[in-house]
Amino acid sequence: MAVTRMRMLLVEDERKVADFVARGLREERFAVDVAYDGTVGWEMASRRQYDLIILDLMLPGINGTEVLRRLHQQGSTAAVLVLTARDGINDKVENFEAGADDYLTKPFAFEELLMRVRALLRRPPTNRGSTLRVADLEVDRLTQQVRRAGKRIELTPKEFALLEYLAAHAGQVLSRTMIVEHVWDESFENLTNIVDVYVRHLRSKVDDPFPIKLIRTVRGAGYSVGEDKGP
Amino acid sequence: MNTRSLRFQLIGWYAGLLFGLFGLLGVSTYWALRTSLAGSLKENQLRRARQIGQLLREEVGRQDEGIVGREVQARYAPDLNDRFVRIAGRDGGLVYLSPSPKSQSFDPAALPPPKWSEEAEGAREVPLLGGRRMLLAGHPVKMPGGNLYLVEVGAPMDEVQADLRHWLVFLLAMLPIVAATAVGGGYVLVERALAPVDRISCSAERISSQNLSERLPVPHTGDELERLSVALNHMIERLDAAFQHSRRFVADASHELRTPLTIVRGELESFVTNDQLRAEWRERLGSALEEVDRLASIVEGLFAISRLDAGEAASEWVTFDLAQLAASTADQMGLLAEDKRIQVICTGVRGVWVEGDRARMKQVVVNLLDNAIKYTPEGGAVSLKVEAEDGRAILEVADNGVGIPPEALPRVFERFFRVDKARSRGQGGAGLGLSIVKSICAAHHGRVEVSSEPGRGSRFRVELPRVRPSASHDPSQDKP
Repeated sequence: MAVTRMRMLLVEDERKVADFVARGLREERFAVDVAYDGTVGWEMASRRQYDLIILDLMLPGINGTEVLRRLHQQGSTAAVLVLTARDGINDKVENFEAGADDYLTKPFAFEELLMRVRALLRRPPTNRGSTLRVADLEVDRLTQQVRRAGKRIELTPKEFALLEYLAAHAGQVLSRTMIVEHVWDESFENLTNIVDVYVRHLRSKVDDPFPIKLIRTVRGAGYSVGEDKGP
Repeated sequence: MNTRSLRFQLIGWYAGLLFGLFGLLGVSTYWALRTSLAGSLKENQLRRARQIGQLLREEVGRQDEGIVGREVQARYAPDLNDRFVRIAGRDGGLVYLSPSPKSQSFDPAALPPPKWSEEAEGAREVPLLGGRRMLLAGHPVKMPGGNLYLVEVGAPMDEVQADLRHWLVFLLAMLPIVAATAVGGGYVLVERALAPVDRISCSAERISSQNLSERLPVPHTGDELERLSVALNHMIERLDAAFQHSRRFVADASHELRTPLTIVRGELESFVTNDQLRAEWRERLGSALEEVDRLASIVEGLFAISRLDAGEAASEWVTFDLAQLAASTADQMGLLAEDKRIQVICTGVRGVWVEGDRARMKQVVVNLLDNAIKYTPEGGAVSLKVEAEDGRAILEVADNGVGIPPEALPRVFERFFRVDKARSRGQGGAGLGLSIVKSICAAHHGRVEVSSEPGRGSRFRVELPRVRPSASHDPSQDKP
């Protein structure tokens, strides 16, 4: 990981949410400052240059939308990820207009927050090249070919999209909801069992013929691709 | 015709009343006429009887009875005037009997015997042949010598009867006119009175839980109908308030649940992905996390329904081909069906255009197909059909699965309703899929219906208003 530590500000009045988000981000080696209300958040944001601000909308003191406006007026360069329980279309439009760069609705999976944070910081954690490599698995994004231990594996387009998504985030746990929204679309939101079916098919082609299994199920959390670090 | 409608009943009452009055008038005038005609006839006959009685008193005593007969015959010529005259003595002797009339309208000899009354004169009606009647007036004559005679004069009632018959014919001829006037007049009156009621009920019919903010037009006439409209509007207002309250509650509740759910999920996730933790613990926490996910999806579903029901504007409102959407969605879900060896048969013509939120409409297809696949045993078949019918677009999803028992059919679109609680919970889902379908259809001015035969399968039918294809249609919107 790069040497320069990214500094971010988390403005969230719900202490427990703030705590686990901050903890998770620190574990990912980010420097995180936390403010529990809008007024303090705004003071901190205006005093210091942050790379990213994670902002809850409904805040005591100055509300999140107002903080956004002020940041925008001030000419802040920080990327802003809005975090809220509101998800009306009007809210979204209003906040994007006020200068939000991304939007995440509660309840969210931390892994998704992390992915969006990384995307906003333009620091992709994974290989952006045309070929993704995980152990002896190769996923060629251009030719849409998959090889494992040099052997060609035939996949349907949907299976390829799924494997590509998992491999691009190797080592991360991807929730079924994230997979559905990325590989399918939000209409399939409540149909997470479709992910299980596709993963099973994928496993039969990618993992079953080989001694080392790459697709791991993390109960309750989702799936992840990578060499098993387990005991 | 609806015989229980207010319109029918009012017209019936009105016409019946007019008819009754007409009948009463007819009967009473008939009787009055009859009494008057018969009365004057009786007076005439009595007068003549008295004259003959006077003659009798003068002649008998001086001469014998025979002269009276001749005198009467000479003076009155009853056979020429179609009259009947009979003079009888108390001892039984017949003094005079008029001969048969020239017209042969009656036979004097066949008339009933005299009816004796000592003092008072009187009249009676006696039947003749052929249904005709005769008015017979009797006048007793007491001689100074003590002898008693009865002078009877009679006239057929033909003229009276003819007059009455004419009156009756006139009444009967008036009957259809009266009937037509009664029904027609009643209809016009009732129509005029009830037309505003029809307008009110039509407007009221249009108001459903989707557009409770609308109100009925209030005619400012100051009459009962204005009061009715105002009262109905007040009721709609109260309903609207109750609906809004319940929607706001669901929206607020699901909103409030999001933050604690985020916390629980965040805390649990950090354990589940922590490799230092014992596998058994990770497994248990993962199971808890699965339930959190389910809770979250219920909350999301409720929130989505409450927003759809509140008629919140969709994110995009476009024209698209329902058939193409259905086919591509079925294709995306192919593996889900294949996994249970279920055949998905997709039929219908392309180019069934509807208007709305594509993503939400797609969710309708996804939920219906998922439902069909879920409740169809391995090796079954699911059919998906899109067709145009008049001005509507029809989407039909049918399966040959377990079906739905009739008593459960009306409730399948209710929130959290499950036909078989034990089994369907094992298959996941919160029992919100079909109510989301219903809400989405309603938000698109359409509706969804279900029919089913237990053991043979179910059929869900979505009806949406069809529109003309838009020029800005982009067929490549679907992911492959």
